[in-house]
Amino acid sequence: MIKDRSQAIMRSRWFTPAFCLALGVVVLATAWLGGQLGTGLFGLVVMAAFGLVILLLTGRSETIRGLTTGRDERFAQIDLKATAVAGLVLILTLIVAWLVEISRGHSGQPYDWLAAIGGLAYVAAIALFRWRG
Amino acid sequence: MKNQVRTLRTQRSLAQGQLAEAMGVSRQTINSIENERYTPSLPLALALARYFGVAVEEMFDDQGP
Repeated sequence: MIKDRSQAIMRSRWFTPAFCLALGVVVLATAWLGGQLGTGLFGLVVMAAFGLVILLLTGRSETIRGLTTGRDERFAQIDLKATAVAGLVLILTLIVAWLVEISRGHSGQPYDWLAAIGGLAYVAAIALFRWRG
Repeated sequence: MKNQVRTLRTQRSLAQGQLAEAMGVSRQTINSIENERYTPSLPLALALARYFGVAVEEMFDDQGP
């Protein structure tokens, strides 16, 4: 029941735009706390504009619809592949950045522990999904 | 994977959107299946076969080139 309700909320065409707006407000609040009101306002405007674009294009683009309301099994598979590609690119970027930092005689932080978290998360996910069958 | 989805759908004068709605997927997913760009999951393959009243082996051919 709760799962059905949460899925219904997430499939609403308003969920992703509202999430973008909420994230923009969080950016504004944290930037304001850090004394960078201008940066926070810029973040809020960018996130609000992004949310508005998604809201306006939901009915016209399958890509946007898949990111918001209409995610069938094919799009779930596309989403999985896209997530894998994004994760791979991120891990490779962190490794290259770490190597560059090391070659410059620096400690390699924070790239070393970020790459380590990514690698450990991958191994943990493999173990978990293998255990679940 | 080769399949008879387009043939069976057009025999019944169904639009891709109508079949998609009946199957609970997007029109693009039906289009991708018909064009052999997407292999449906087992539940969707069974649902399609049941919808058209044929065996799943008659609808999908995994022995093709």
